[in-house]
Amino acid sequence: MTLELQRTALLPADGAAPQAPAPRRRRRRGPRVTVLLAVAVLVLVVAWAVLPQLFTSHDPLAGVPADALQGPSAAHWFGTDPTGRDLFSRVVHGARYSLTGGVVAVAVGLVAGTAIGVIAGSIGTIVDEILMRVVDVLLSIPGLLLSLSVIILLGFGTTNAAIAVGVTSVAAFARLSRSEVVRVRRSDYVEAAFGSGGRWGSVLLRHVLPNSLTPVLALAALQFGTAILAISTLGFLGYGAPPPTPEWGLLISEGRSHLATSWWLTTLPGVVVVLVVLSANRLSGAISQARTARS
Amino acid sequence: MTYALGRVASAAGVLLAAFTVAFLLLQALPGDAVMIRFENPELGLSAEQIASVRESYGADVGLLAQYWHSLSGFLGGDLGFSVASGAPVRTLLGSAIPSTLLLAGLGFVVAALLAAALAFGAILSPSGWLANVLRSLPSLFVSVPVFWLGIVLIQIFSFRLGLISVIRPGPLEALILPVLTLAVPISAPMAQVLVRAIDDVQAQPFITVVRSKGAGEAWILLRNVLRNAALPALTIAGVLLGELIGGAVVTETVFARFGVGRLTADALDAQDIPVLQGIVVLAALAFVVVNLLVDLVAPLIDPRLKRRVHA
Amino acid sequence: MSRTPSGRRLAGLTAVVSATALLAACGSGGDAGGSGTSDGSASGTEAAAGEPIEGGELLYLEYQPYTTLYPPQSGFYPNGALIANITDRLVYQDPETLEFSPWIATDWTVNADATEYTFNLRDGVTFSDGSPLDAEVVAKNFDAYGLGDAEAGFPVSEQINNYVSSEVVDADTVTFRFSAPSPGFLQATSANGAGLLSSDTLDGDLDAYAPGNGTGVVGSGPFVIAEETVGTEILLEARDDYDWAPAESEHQGRAYLDGVRFSVTPEDSVRIGALTSGQTDVIRYVQAYDEAQVEQAGLQLFAPQTQGVNNSLSLRFTNGILADIDVRKAIVAGVNAQEVVDTVFTPNYPVATGILSHTALGYVDHEAELAYDPDEANRLLDEAGWTLGSDGIREKDGQKLTLVASEAKPQPLSRDTLTLVAQQLKAIGVDLQILAADSGTYAEAIKDPDQVQLYHSMVGRTDLDVIKSQYASTNRDANLSDDAELDRLLGLVASTADPAARLQASADAQQYLVDQAYVIPLFEEPQVYGAQDYVQGFGWDTVARPVFYNTWLAQ
Repeated sequence: MTLELQRTALLPADGAAPQAPAPRRRRRRGPRVTVLLAVAVLVLVVAWAVLPQLFTSHDPLAGVPADALQGPSAAHWFGTDPTGRDLFSRVVHGARYSLTGGVVAVAVGLVAGTAIGVIAGSIGTIVDEILMRVVDVLLSIPGLLLSLSVIILLGFGTTNAAIAVGVTSVAAFARLSRSEVVRVRRSDYVEAAFGSGGRWGSVLLRHVLPNSLTPVLALAALQFGTAILAISTLGFLGYGAPPPTPEWGLLISEGRSHLATSWWLTTLPGVVVVLVVLSANRLSGAISQARTARS
Repeated sequence: MTYALGRVASAAGVLLAAFTVAFLLLQALPGDAVMIRFENPELGLSAEQIASVRESYGADVGLLAQYWHSLSGFLGGDLGFSVASGAPVRTLLGSAIPSTLLLAGLGFVVAALLAAALAFGAILSPSGWLANVLRSLPSLFVSVPVFWLGIVLIQIFSFRLGLISVIRPGPLEALILPVLTLAVPISAPMAQVLVRAIDDVQAQPFITVVRSKGAGEAWILLRNVLRNAALPALTIAGVLLGELIGGAVVTETVFARFGVGRLTADALDAQDIPVLQGIVVLAALAFVVVNLLVDLVAPLIDPRLKRRVHA
Repeated sequence: MSRTPSGRRLAGLTAVVSATALLAACGSGGDAGGSGTSDGSASGTEAAAGEPIEGGELLYLEYQPYTTLYPPQSGFYPNGALIANITDRLVYQDPETLEFSPWIATDWTVNADATEYTFNLRDGVTFSDGSPLDAEVVAKNFDAYGLGDAEAGFPVSEQINNYVSSEVVDADTVTFRFSAPSPGFLQATSANGAGLLSSDTLDGDLDAYAPGNGTGVVGSGPFVIAEETVGTEILLEARDDYDWAPAESEHQGRAYLDGVRFSVTPEDSVRIGALTSGQTDVIRYVQAYDEAQVEQAGLQLFAPQTQGVNNSLSLRFTNGILADIDVRKAIVAGVNAQEVVDTVFTPNYPVATGILSHTALGYVDHEAELAYDPDEANRLLDEAGWTLGSDGIREKDGQKLTLVASEAKPQPLSRDTLTLVAQQLKAIGVDLQILAADSGTYAEAIKDPDQVQLYHSMVGRTDLDVIKSQYASTNRDANLSDDAELDRLLGLVASTADPAARLQASADAQQYLVDQAYVIPLFEEPQVYGAQDYVQGFGWDTVARPVFYNTWLAQ
C-alpha cells in the first residue's frame, strides 16, 4: 500500500531539505527568524484566548448601534460591525473559540487516528489489513459531506464543528502513524530490542512510539491550521457557530458581503487567520526539520 | 496477478462499506426531506397540510428494507429519485459531473503548473530572498480560506478592474477565476513535494557527476526531478481528489456554478438522501479507482515499491 | 365589487421610482387609514425616456432558486417571481391603488353574502401549449387550489377560504360557490396564488412543479419558460401571440422584451458587484447596506412595499415563560424597532406602527401601544417575579429568562436584526439566543414553542385576509396558537361579507394581537431591486414580485 506516503508528502518541506543541507546553507538564518515569528504569533493568540480582557476593553457581544460600520480608528482598531460591535474585541475574544476548535479537531484526529495507526502498524497481518480498509472507507466519503453530516447529527457549535473537522483527519493520522510505526519497527535497534527478549508492549512504548512521534506532531501542527480554515469554511456554508459567537470563521464569513463597502469586516479577521495558520504551518515545518536534522 | 485481483476485491469491499456507512449516517440525520421542503412559511402551508403531504409521499418503510431497496437499485444502476425535486438522481448527477470534472481537472492542471513554476523558480532563482519568497508562498497559499480568496478575486478582477465577467461569462471566461481559486490551495502541497524532490535530487552524488560532464543545470534538474517526483505526485493526486470535491463546493457556491459540489451542499441542506447516497457512491468509486490505479501503476514506476507492497 | 381606500393616487401600471424620489417619499408617508401611499414624485418616467423599444434579453439576478411553481405556494419570492410572469389571473389588482379591473375575466358578479362568484371570461385566450383558456379549465384550476388534492399532494391554498365547488355555466362563464362568505376571494383570483395553468399541467402531481420541470408548467402569461438549468438558470421567452394584458394596461400585445434570464446568484457581494460593474440588468435583494452603492453608481433603486403583515417577531405564548402576558408585554416594550431600522436598515424600511404595513388594507395605527419603553419593561418583569441574577439575566424559581429566536433566511438581514434585538433585550435582563441549525433541525424547532419562542416572519397579500394567513392556527400559525378567541376574530375577517363590518373585524383582530402582546412588529418590508439606468418600465405586482411585461431596454 503506497498511499501512506501521501500525508507525509503534504507536510511542509520549506526550509532546509531533508538530506541536502549543504547547498542551502545561506538560507539557514531566514527560517529561524520566521520560526520565532511564528511562535510569537501563536503565543499572542493563545494569550488572547486565555486573557482577552488584557488586550481589549470593548464588549465583544454588545455594541453601540450608533457606531455601526465605522472603519478602523484609534478607538476601534479593526473598525466596527453592522450592529456597532468592536471588531478587534471580537477577534481577540474569538481566539478562544477558534483555537479551541483547532485543538479539538486535532485532538479527535490525533487520538483516534494514531490509535488506529499504531494498532494496525504494530499488530500487522489481518488486523492491519482490516483497519486500513476502514481508513480507506473514511477517505472515500467526501470529507465535506462527512463533516456536515456530523454537524447535523451533533448540532451547531464550535466544538461540534471541530469534532466534525477532526473526524475527517482521522484517516490521515492513522496512515501516517501506521507507516511510522512500521518504519521504526523494522529499524535495526528495535529489531535488536525484540531480539534481546524485550516484551512487545514495552518495546512499543519505549522505542516505537517515541520515535514515530515527531512526524505525527508535525502533522498535528499542520492540521491545526487546516482545521481553523475548515471550520471557517463550514461557517461560510452556513454550518458555523451560532451567533453572536465571535468565532473567526464566522467573522470572515459574515463580513464577506460587506467587502466592497466595509472591507475591514472580512479582511482583518482574515489576515489574523492567515497569520495563525501560516505560523502553525511554519512550526510544523520546523518540527519535521528538527527531526531530519537529528537523524 | 493475484496481487491485482486482491486489490480489486478489496476496492469493491471498500465501496460497499462506504455505501453502508453513508446509508446509516444519512438515515440518522434528524428531520426529513418532505418536512424541510415544505417548512418554508412563505409557502403558506399549515402543520396539518405538511403532515398530509408527507403521507402522500409514503415514507415509513423499515430500515433494512430501505437498505436492500437502495443497494439493489444501485447495483442495477438505478440511483432513485430526488426527494427535493422528484428528478432522477442519475439526471442530476449527469448534469453536475461534467461541469465539476472540467473545473477540477483544469484546477489540478493549473495547480501542477503553478507548483512547478514555484518550485523551479525557487531552485533556479539567482537571489536568495526571491527563493525564500517563492518557497514560503505555498505555505501562504494553504493559509487563505478558499471562499474568501474567491470573493476577493471576483472583487478585484471582475468588479474593480472589469477584466473578467462573472455573470454569464463565455465558456473560457467562466473558468478562469474558479479554476484559479481552486488551484491556489491545491498547488501548495504539490509545490512542496516538488521542492523536496528537487532537494533530494540535488543532494545525490550522481548529480555532481552529471554536472561535471557539462550538462546544463536546468536540464539535469528537469530530467531527474520529474523522475523522482513522479511517484509522490501520483500518490498525492489520490488525496487531492477529495480536496478538489471539497473545494468545488465552495468554488461553485461563490461563482454560482452548478456542479457536484453545489449539488452536495444543497442536497445535504434539503436532506435529499437519494441524491447524497448517489454522490457518496460516485465519490467512493472515483477514490477507489484512482487509488487502485495508483497502486497498480506505482510499482511499474518505481521497482523498489514492489518489494514493499508484497512485504 | 371593488373595494378601494379613498385618496390613493393612481400611479400607473409601471411606477418607475428614482432612488432619491423614493427616499424622500418614504420619509413623508405614514398617515393612518391606508390612504397614505409613498407616491411623492413617483411614477411615469416612461414618457421622458421615449417610446418603448421591442427586443432584447434582460438578465435578472435572483437570490435563491425557486422551490415549486405550484401557484398557491407562490408566497416564496423566487416562486412568485416566475409565476407572476408566466401566468395570467382572472382579475387584475393595481399595485398602487389596489383597485380591481378586468384581466382574463371581463366582468364578474358577487352575491350579497359573498358566497357565490360568477366570472365572464375573455375570448380567444390560449395557453402556451395552444389549449384554450375556457371556463372548464378555470374551474379545474380553482377546484385544485380551493379544494386541494391529497393524492396529488396539492394542499388547499391559504388564500382561498370556504371554497365548495365550481360550475361551468357555459364556455366563457364560470361560477364558484362557498360554504360561508368568502369576501377575500376576488382578491385571491388576482394574486399569483391563483395563476391560471393549462389542464395538462394541472394533471401532474406536486412533483411536476418541482425544479427541473419548469418547461412543463404551462400558463397563458406573456412569458414562457423556455429553458431551465436546475438550481442556476431559467430563461423566460416572450409569447409573440400574447394579446390579453389587463384591461387597465396601456400596453397591449406581446411583451417588449424577447426574454428574461433569471440567474440564481446567492452571494450578496456578487449580485451587487455585478450590478455596479454593469454585468447585469436587474438584481433582486439589494441589501440595505448596499443601497448607497447603487445610488452612488447612478443606478436605479426600487423598493416596492409588500403591503401585508409587517416583518415581525411572533411570541409563542404556548411556551411556559411567554404564557404570562406581563412577560410578553415587557418584551414588546423592550424592543426598540426604531433603533433596528436606524442601525441595520434604510428609509426604504419604514418602522412598523402596527400589525399591518401602513399601505396595507385595514391598517390600524398602534404606534403608542408598541412604543419602546425599557422602564416599563423592567417594571413588568419585576412585578412578574423575574429578578435580576448576578449575570444580568433575570430568573424566577431557578429558571433563567432565556428565549430563542429563529433566524429567518428569507427575511432581510434577519441575523443582524436579531443580534440587535438580543442586545436590546439584554438591557432588560432577557437572554435572547439565535437559533442556528441545519434545515432539518430548524424545520422541527420552529414548530415547537419550547424550542423557538420568537419567530421571525412576515407575509404579503393585499387583502384583509392576510392577517388570517399569518396568525390563524389553521394557516401559517406564526404564534403556534391555541387561542380560540384569536381564531374566531381571524375567522370573522375571512368570512364577513359586509365591507365595513369586515374592516372592523380586521381592526378587532389587530387590536387583540396588540392587547395580548402576541407580536413585536419591526418594520414594513420592501423588496429592494437595483437596475441599470437603461432598464425602463420595470414593474411589480401588489406584493412586490417583479413584472417584466412592460419592461424594455433603452439601449
